[in-house]
Amino acid sequence: MRHEIKKICRIVDELTTMFLKDDTDEVDFKIITSPEKAIIRIVDYHTNYSDQMINQLRTTLNNQRQSEIEEYYWQLAGENDDDDEELTLISAMIDTATVEKREGNLYIELVRMNR
Amino acid sequence: MVFSNRIDEKDLHKEQKLLILAAFPAVFLIFGIFYGLVEGTKGRPILEGLSAIILSPTTLITDFLVIGGIGAAFINSALIGFYNLYLLKHFKMRINGLLIAAFFTVLGFAFFGKNVINILPIYLGGYLYARYQKIPMKNVILVIMFSTALAPIVSFITFGGIFQEGFSYLMGILAGLAIGFIIVPLSSHMIRFHDGYNLYNIGFTAGIVGTVITSALRSFKIDIAPVNIISESNNPWIIGMLVCLFIYLIGVGLRTNPTTLKDYKKILQYRGRTITDFTSLVGYGITFFNMGVMGLSSLLLVLLLGGVVNGPVLAAILTVVGFSAFGKHPKNAWPLVAGVILAGLFFSYDFSSTTFIISLLFSTTIAPIAGAYGPIAGVIAGMLHLTLVTNIGIIHGGINLYNNGFAGGLVAGFMLPIIDAFKRGDSRP
Repeated sequence: MRHEIKKICRIVDELTTMFLKDDTDEVDFKIITSPEKAIIRIVDYHTNYSDQMINQLRTTLNNQRQSEIEEYYWQLAGENDDDDEELTLISAMIDTATVEKREGNLYIELVRMNR
Repeated sequence: MVFSNRIDEKDLHKEQKLLILAAFPAVFLIFGIFYGLVEGTKGRPILEGLSAIILSPTTLITDFLVIGGIGAAFINSALIGFYNLYLLKHFKMRINGLLIAAFFTVLGFAFFGKNVINILPIYLGGYLYARYQKIPMKNVILVIMFSTALAPIVSFITFGGIFQEGFSYLMGILAGLAIGFIIVPLSSHMIRFHDGYNLYNIGFTAGIVGTVITSALRSFKIDIAPVNIISESNNPWIIGMLVCLFIYLIGVGLRTNPTTLKDYKKILQYRGRTITDFTSLVGYGITFFNMGVMGLSSLLLVLLLGGVVNGPVLAAILTVVGFSAFGKHPKNAWPLVAGVILAGLFFSYDFSSTTFIISLLFSTTIAPIAGAYGPIAGVIAGMLHLTLVTNIGIIHGGINLYNNGFAGGLVAGFMLPIIDAFKRGDSRP
């Protein structure tokens, strides 16, 4: 099986863990799926991340989709709350990421194309 | 949080990265041909050596330097290396740390276990899986490269004398196809057992598969007898060549990123747990430099312990070099090495034996434990690793080449919940 839905859930799981652990007490997720792509919108309220960290987050998430890493390691996403290495995994599972800070909140939109 | 560092280095195109990697099989090929010609004058022609390698059952531990001669063994490794590089180019893969690790692992294990024939059915099985799931072959090529750890099953069934000749070829091919087909979902699932703390995850998966297959064979009263064919003498040409190749990697690193020496400490901050791809976190310059440093350190360690650089040790060194692009660095590796040496002292192992040397080098498969939980946990993990690795080979009968990956997975899966039990409070700072 290709587990498309489960992979999206894993991405959400990983980012939920990351934001609640590292940054905020309040986070919203919206997930939209279609035959062509899945969009994950995240609002991380009252972010404490610095501009430099947000820039690094943007760069890391836009590393490039790497299907071979996704195929092998997707089940690691969201598995652990001790480490943060899975952010690299998330970047391998998405095509593009928009990361912006507005009015003290962090807005992220992840796009995962169906292949 | 783990972010990519700002990397100011010379931009390397995909072809340049492939060329950098191609230096290894190219040097192996040239060395193999010349050395093989010399061996030919002493009554051991290259083709005869290659034929002996291909016709061997290749179960653990079969050193191709002995079976086919040094020339043929290096040519076998070079051909497998070029074949895999061709696949990476053909499928337009981004040359990341994991692919570098896979390439060096396959290259290394071509000195004991993998040959140009027994890996092919596994690739074909992977292709059939991709077709069946309607996914591109490039998605599974990485797992398939690693899964050639089970290539001895193909050789053993084909040339082990179980079936009549002719029928045995068909059964060998079918076994390889089956492995290639099932290994992708299996490897993806098995990683949860050790949470990515065992870098040779396929070794763990292959250990499980090998155990199932060996048990099935034993139920039919077919036993896989362990072998111990190992070269016992050092060859100065091989050692010299390795030194040059590792210095070459260091040179490439320094040329790609002139601030490598100053920035090398950046790589040491990473714990190494899967996925720690150094090529994207610190860039290719520091990554190649780290690979060279780890290669030289491994070689030095082998020589200091009085070991022999034979086929299995070559595999171990090249695997360490490969995974130095994907999680390993001196800071998270030394506690494991120290742990294995301590256990070796305690249990009175012969430090110069190949079994001990490869256990020592491959123990760094669980370097992320030291990276994440500190050197004491790393030393304990190293001690446990030696204890397990010397006892679990019998379970899969030696048909899983990554026996240390199997042991590493068990150690990590065993230790992590225990470490967690000793931690207090929540994960939130």
